[in-house]
Amino acid sequence: MGGGEVRRSGRVEGLRRQIDLRRVAQYGFVVVVAVTLNFLLPRLMPGNPLALIAGVDVGLLDPDQRAEIVARVGLDAPLWQQYLRYWGGILTGDFGYSFRANRPIVEMIWDRLPWTLLITGLSLVVSAVTGVVLGALSAWRRGTKGDLSLLSGMISVESLPSFWLGMVLISVFAVQWGLLPSFGAVTPASDLVGWAHTWDIVSHAIMPVTALSIVGTPGVYMTMRYSMLETLGEDYIRTARAKGAGERRVLFGHVARNAIAPVITVLAIRLGFAFGGTVIIETVFSYPGLGRLVFEAVAGRDYPVMQAAFLVFTGAVLMANLAADLLYPLIDPRTRTS
Amino acid sequence: MTAAGFDDRAVRRAIRRRSRLPTVLGLAGAAIVGALLFTAVLAPWLAPYDPKERIARPFLPPSSEHLLGTNDVGHDLLSEIIFGSRVSLLVGLVAATVALLIGTTVGVLAGYYPKRLGSTLMRGVDVILILPFLPLLIVLAAYLGRSLLNTILVIGVLIWAEPARIIRSQVLSLRSREYVLAARSMGAPDRWTILRHIVPRTALLATGSFVRAVSGAILLEAALSFLGLGDPIQKSWGSTLYWAQTRGAFLTPAWKWWVLPPGLLIMLASLGFALIAFSLEERINPRL
Repeated sequence: MGGGEVRRSGRVEGLRRQIDLRRVAQYGFVVVVAVTLNFLLPRLMPGNPLALIAGVDVGLLDPDQRAEIVARVGLDAPLWQQYLRYWGGILTGDFGYSFRANRPIVEMIWDRLPWTLLITGLSLVVSAVTGVVLGALSAWRRGTKGDLSLLSGMISVESLPSFWLGMVLISVFAVQWGLLPSFGAVTPASDLVGWAHTWDIVSHAIMPVTALSIVGTPGVYMTMRYSMLETLGEDYIRTARAKGAGERRVLFGHVARNAIAPVITVLAIRLGFAFGGTVIIETVFSYPGLGRLVFEAVAGRDYPVMQAAFLVFTGAVLMANLAADLLYPLIDPRTRTS
Repeated sequence: MTAAGFDDRAVRRAIRRRSRLPTVLGLAGAAIVGALLFTAVLAPWLAPYDPKERIARPFLPPSSEHLLGTNDVGHDLLSEIIFGSRVSLLVGLVAATVALLIGTTVGVLAGYYPKRLGSTLMRGVDVILILPFLPLLIVLAAYLGRSLLNTILVIGVLIWAEPARIIRSQVLSLRSREYVLAARSMGAPDRWTILRHIVPRTALLATGSFVRAVSGAILLEAALSFLGLGDPIQKSWGSTLYWAQTRGAFLTPAWKWWVLPPGLLIMLASLGFALIAFSLEERINPRL
């Protein structure tokens, strides 16, 4: 009991230390870069600033409307005031207004975010478990036929264009065999309730999640495999063998346990990739998430929406990284600063 | 404990097989890349039709005249795909070259001057590595406009960070080698030391990252074109798939000849370079 108490307080101590100020500063810097990039890009590009910044069709507006939008977006102010104003908006959670959709952008993002979180979350779990298990097995049986074919297979999967994978999945499972719905997140205009509703959502999510999981697995697999191979060479593994620990116990209790820590960092980075990857997957499946919103905004030249979504993606990636920083010392005590 | 996996003969056999694998995969990759380069260079002679000319009725299924049928405006799909190899390989190779130039410069400088310049440069590298990659690519491509040059630039300026990091760590260890210290103690200017002693020794590593970058750039070009952000005049495998998606070809039996071939080729091209990169990396730093 007492020992557990001590360990737990040690853990909290490590946690607090792990929130390294330099890391936090780095993440802050990334936010500044992202916001500044967002601010400068449309202002540096050739073309009508009103079209690029407000995302409106300038030709369709009469002078009065134009003046109103200029005033609303604040384009009549000096550049540094615009920049401060832009920051002010972001810090207060105001991402501006989509003149094309005629809605505040924050609302549009809140509508879409849950769907993206659903499919990226699920696919992250699937690819993490698959990658870790296959990577561990592969390294454990290193050099065998099974390991080498798995490795070659994973290198091939890494070259799969995700959108093409999605299109083929739709052609085969939705069109050819009619098993799954080919687009959207729910059946439109259906008043399903209870289990039928849940199944409706699940059946729509199966293919996007499958596609995202398949593309996400090789990265985890490779990291786990190499990390395992490195751990297998450590002295304490030989010690474990020497003291007569069973193979299974060595694999799960000693090797896999120690090898998994670097995978956490990769998973955090993967999350960023998976999040960004939804732009493509959600476009293929017409899935109403944040990624699809980016595609629609680009296609419809609704630049402010595209920019806001980019900031949300950035925020998500940073949070994933921060979570990994916090989790790491819990999983790998060696990195806890004493 | 005499577990089967640690039987002496089995281990030796495994080691032999292990050391052969990178070579086999590398050769396979080289063969794929060679075949695709051949197709790209000889495209005008290999393609049965002009890919930009309406030579038949739209939406034709495969026949002896049009092996892969025709698209929504009556272009021959086979010819389109043969010519598509040019855009994919061109963008892949040139974007990777841009990335390599930036990556090597930053990596060498950051490694040779690790204190102030190095840490500033690496902070920039970290920022690029953290930013959500694909959304940033799309934002840049959307603002810059659709052209082949812009596609190359956008991809090139976003993928140099990884090569820079790899090269920097190599340079960090190189700069404390005896011959570098000797050159410096004899008063050799930094420029000379870097060009004479440092850069040549990063060549192998740089080649590995270059080939890996080509593999990634091919996939990115395809993704951009698929999202409708590629050059509208150039036909690439990604844009063929963009039209297949826009015209709903993947919802009809046409997916077998309109959707499958270009996607397989994108995968093959990216895989070819990835296999070469894998075999190079194993040779430089055997991790197996």
